[in-house]
Amino acid sequence: MRTKVATPPSVAVTGTGVVLPGASNASALLADPPQSAEPVDPAALVGRKGLRYKDRATRLAYCAADVALRDAGLTAERGLAVDSDTVGVVASSNFGNVDTVVSVLDTIHAETVAGTSPMDLPNASSNVIASSVAIRFGLRGPNLMVCNGATGGLDAVRWAVTMIATGRVERVLVVGTEPATEPVRRILHGGRPLDGAAALVVESSQSVAERGVPAQAWLGHFVRTASLVECVLQLAEADRGTQPSSWQVPPGGAPGDLLPGVPRIDLTSSWGQCSGALGVLQCAAAVGWFSDHDTGTVYATAGTPAESTAGLALTGGAT
Amino acid sequence: MSPVITGASAITSVGTNVDEFFSALCSGNTGLHELRGFDKGHFRATHAYEIDDRPAQGVDVPGRASKWLSEAIAQAVAQAGIGEDLSDVPVLIGTGLRELRSLELWWRGGGTLTEDDLHFGPVLRERFGVTDTHTFSNACSASVYALAMGADLLATGQADTVIVAGVDVLTESMHGLLERVHPSPPERVRPFDRNRTGVLMGDGAAAVVLRTTSPGALGALRAVGVNCDAYHATAPDAAGIAAAMREAHRLAGVKPADVDLVMMHGTGTLLNDEVEAIATREVFADWVDVPLMTAIKSMTGHTSGASGLLNLVSALQSFATGRVPVTVGLVEPVAEASSFRLVTGETEHADIAVAQINAFGFGGINAVAIVEATTQREVSS
Repeated sequence: MRTKVATPPSVAVTGTGVVLPGASNASALLADPPQSAEPVDPAALVGRKGLRYKDRATRLAYCAADVALRDAGLTAERGLAVDSDTVGVVASSNFGNVDTVVSVLDTIHAETVAGTSPMDLPNASSNVIASSVAIRFGLRGPNLMVCNGATGGLDAVRWAVTMIATGRVERVLVVGTEPATEPVRRILHGGRPLDGAAALVVESSQSVAERGVPAQAWLGHFVRTASLVECVLQLAEADRGTQPSSWQVPPGGAPGDLLPGVPRIDLTSSWGQCSGALGVLQCAAAVGWFSDHDTGTVYATAGTPAESTAGLALTGGAT
Repeated sequence: MSPVITGASAITSVGTNVDEFFSALCSGNTGLHELRGFDKGHFRATHAYEIDDRPAQGVDVPGRASKWLSEAIAQAVAQAGIGEDLSDVPVLIGTGLRELRSLELWWRGGGTLTEDDLHFGPVLRERFGVTDTHTFSNACSASVYALAMGADLLATGQADTVIVAGVDVLTESMHGLLERVHPSPPERVRPFDRNRTGVLMGDGAAAVVLRTTSPGALGALRAVGVNCDAYHATAPDAAGIAAAMREAHRLAGVKPADVDLVMMHGTGTLLNDEVEAIATREVFADWVDVPLMTAIKSMTGHTSGASGLLNLVSALQSFATGRVPVTVGLVEPVAEASSFRLVTGETEHADIAVAQINAFGFGGINAVAIVEATTQREVSS
């Protein structure tokens, strides 16, 4: 069964931030990762101030948000270049505060509640990433934390676009972040987790024109379907059957007879299991693709057969 | 046209359907009880407002949030008469703690866990065939934030029917850290009382069916205003809360004088109640003594992400019955709320046509909804 394909509003990506071991911009996402790369050191990127008491996922989110806001020209010498309530935040992460939850739990069982630190309280709530980013950068618009499994990153972009379409907010910082920590490795049964973050600034075409900033990509149709095959068919239908120039496939790839001849990109084979960050990384990678290829459409798809598949069509900024 | 609510459910420690829930609230019954699923020896605060469904005292089981969420959705769709095949219906879930209790139990050696067990999509796909689920982890304003997103889905034509739900069950980490920040462990939730000592959590789930149009609705959703203080990780900010209330009023096209009932967030913490009262006084100004106000967390405990929607369902019942529940344990209001018409002593009877729902969460994320009665209430004796 299908969710109705929404008419795409005119929303563009105007800023991109990528913070991965061995990749610090959108184009690098599409290259082979370096053989050995040091983990991202947030203190080296954004300074030590404000990092204490924060989970790694939040620290990584700070770094990607900082790059994306600068890239979009939204930062001024002091604070923001636009009104603080015109910028919202949508963050996606599944494992963001898992570290705090299990370590507090262990402390309670070993020492009773008396052994816990009050400084852990904000991190016990999973929305700490979205709200911490808002506090750090002074973003007073709507603030949404998406913890929605494999589709979460693309869902986060969809909610940003939806809130712009209804006029709730003019622009949204979208962040996807996942940490590679011991509890996460255990949840993934030894799988290799992503240890990084990506961020996008998305804004209305009106805001793009008013600020006079270039569009790095335009966000097209979103679909959510029971299967990957349905997802691709609906994206194609919405795009009147035009072949995409590349296709970002979910972890594990896609059936060979689907979209034959279209180059496939599986970011998780290069960067690890991206979980809630995947969709945001895919959009950033699409921006990288468009910087090297003039035209065309990129399909971003993420999900699992047991739940559903999310799909998004992006087009190049020049079109 | 405002979207309408055609089905609603409420599950808490004081009742596992709307009728039980609302009649308990109107009777002033509370769900306060010794901790049911945790080892009390680990905590100073030994009470909470849990649903009584554990196999034995002190024994907890995984998947309780998913279980009560599914039950809440089933009850709401039954009332709305739309059937349990939800393959075409988006379901938006607001939660503070998603399935983190299952994570805790797994971490301490109980059961299995995969990355898909932390959110609600797979469970709802299996039970209702839903393919468009969204788990929003927006702390204590989560279900009203989800309501805003549901309204936006309808407004942008992405759906004509949406289910919005809220759910939370206690986690040891949150129960422990919440009591840790209080000077002495809270014994019960007493919103807006001078002698309140803090907050205790409760289990809760609620759901509403939101449609673009339908006859026989329970109420209409005029608007939801959402924002972020961008101020402090846990402390609320009166300016941000007031801005969210004004945004809700602006979007709904109502003035403070139009509001008959305010369902307060009212957590019983020192800071929330004071700041919520200051913001309310500022926004309502000369009309602050017009609406009735109540805080049902005094009976349900703080049901976190579910609490906003539970407040909304209570307001729908006030539309239908003309009854407004009492704030239990409120004896002497804080100075900031001294001029408010907080319901104390016993249940009030009044015609309620417009209600405001407050929900504020950690990190300063604020959501305020305005709902309106769609039919004249039945005449009661």
